[in-house]
Amino acid sequence: MTIVLGIESTSHTLGIGIVEKNNSSIRILANVYSKYIPAKGGIHPREASLHHAREAPQVLKSALDKAGIHIGDVDGIAVALGPGLGPCLRIGATLARFLASYYSKPLIPVNHAVAHIEIGKFVAGFADPLIIYVSGGNTLIAIQRKKRYRVLGETLDIPLGNLLDTFAREIGLAPPYVVNGKHQVDICSEWGSNFIDLPYTVKGIDLSFSGLLTASLKHAEKARSKKELGDICLSLRETAFDMIVEVAERALLLTGKKEVLLVGGVASNTVLRQKLEAMATLHGAKYKGTPPDVSGDNGAMIAYTGLLLLLHGVTIEPEKAFIKQRWRLDEVDLPWLPD
Amino acid sequence: MASRLTLISEGAEAKIYLLEALGTKLIVKHRISKPYRHPLFDKLFRERRTRTEAKILAKLYLSGLPVPAPLFVDPFNSIIIMEYVFGIKLSDTIEFLTTKTICTIASRLGEYVGKMHSLKIYHGDLTLANILYNERTDGIYIIDFGLAGHSTDIEEYAIDIHLIERSINALAPEITELFMKNFWNGYAKTYSEKYREIKDRVYEIKLRGRYIEERLKRRLEHERYS
Repeated sequence: MTIVLGIESTSHTLGIGIVEKNNSSIRILANVYSKYIPAKGGIHPREASLHHAREAPQVLKSALDKAGIHIGDVDGIAVALGPGLGPCLRIGATLARFLASYYSKPLIPVNHAVAHIEIGKFVAGFADPLIIYVSGGNTLIAIQRKKRYRVLGETLDIPLGNLLDTFAREIGLAPPYVVNGKHQVDICSEWGSNFIDLPYTVKGIDLSFSGLLTASLKHAEKARSKKELGDICLSLRETAFDMIVEVAERALLLTGKKEVLLVGGVASNTVLRQKLEAMATLHGAKYKGTPPDVSGDNGAMIAYTGLLLLLHGVTIEPEKAFIKQRWRLDEVDLPWLPD
Repeated sequence: MASRLTLISEGAEAKIYLLEALGTKLIVKHRISKPYRHPLFDKLFRERRTRTEAKILAKLYLSGLPVPAPLFVDPFNSIIIMEYVFGIKLSDTIEFLTTKTICTIASRLGEYVGKMHSLKIYHGDLTLANILYNERTDGIYIIDFGLAGHSTDIEEYAIDIHLIERSINALAPEITELFMKNFWNGYAKTYSEKYREIKDRVYEIKLRGRYIEERLKRRLEHERYS
């Protein structure tokens, strides 16, 4: 039996998860997190890190309680060392280095992006999917090839989550960005019914959202009614999602994969899920998303990926475990991926 | 004379049919409606792309580039009928080609893309799947101009090259360097004018991806020395 504790603190969420491998079955024992919600504006890195530092002891304690284990029972401490916001990453890294040194446990370095994908594959039961990873920090299409996740296409400027959040904030709807599991842009879309022609920028399998954001904000300035604002939200969302689905479709046909997997924070969006599912069905591919409790940033995904790494002997000395604010998905060698 | 229509391929946005009529072979490209797209947007979208593709194919064909000649266009039903060209997608065959062949293909592709850019046209989706290789004649064809356009902005040209490089890197990472070296040699032959500028831009685009460490380092150096 192997138990790994994982710490996530790359951005707005401080999360601690615990997974257990018993013979060949792997279970998530605990997945506890505390999310920093800004009073105004977007994520303030320092405020977020202070939140993480304040919450960490409690989150750690409740994760251990929930799993019904003591820290001594853990076989490894996994931590997301990047990519992410420096001040936030440092909180998780400090906690992980402390736990690993004090309790003499192996420390496991986890790439946050890899963790999003691995937990998605695990929950979906997929072996070799086309991966669509959409969050506040990433928007990319990837496949596994030669021991790594290879990026086929990605955003050339801002990520999808960033587009939706910035728009919602600029027009005065956010924060909070998500209400009852629904994004403000989705709520606002329900007020509209007309389609406005907005910049649609697809370059091969790459995308660009910054023109779409600027144009939408320009339109929003002139909006005089709730309905007009709704039209803009609807058009923005449809344009952005159609762009993602189009590049995903291109990639699906390019690679001939039979599985389509949606991961990352924006994976919880119902409209995007429906569009992708419709696209996958069209080409006879199986579609699966990631359930909300493991699609947003969380500790369980770090613990699970840490477990895979530990089983393949990937660990790091605490004194060498520096955070990496920039650490691309396609830089990480993963021993369990096929050649 | 009997004519026959066979579905030969289903692309991301269009169905490709082989039309055999009057003793000749033609390709029918029909952009199909997508269930995931907003209905109002869907129509506008397909019409726009059909028009652009037909215009650009005509211009490139008349300039002597290896693209299928467009013969008939119906933007309202989003249909283009074009010349039949034979070849296997480079994405399907690249792993089985010899180094020598790959070098020749890369260099020739570079020449064609250079020529295309010198005509102020970009492809917009230049991946290995949109390049056909004919083993018998040793020729290549560039297809699918649905995302193509006219532009004088070198950004668009650089993106074409960035896309081809990334597409190779994803499918056959071990030959990327060799392929690109030959590609650039060919490119310089037909578009020497802005060669240097475009090459720099391609590098810059690569750094634009998310979380690239090299970019941070470059910025720090810049700050230190300027």
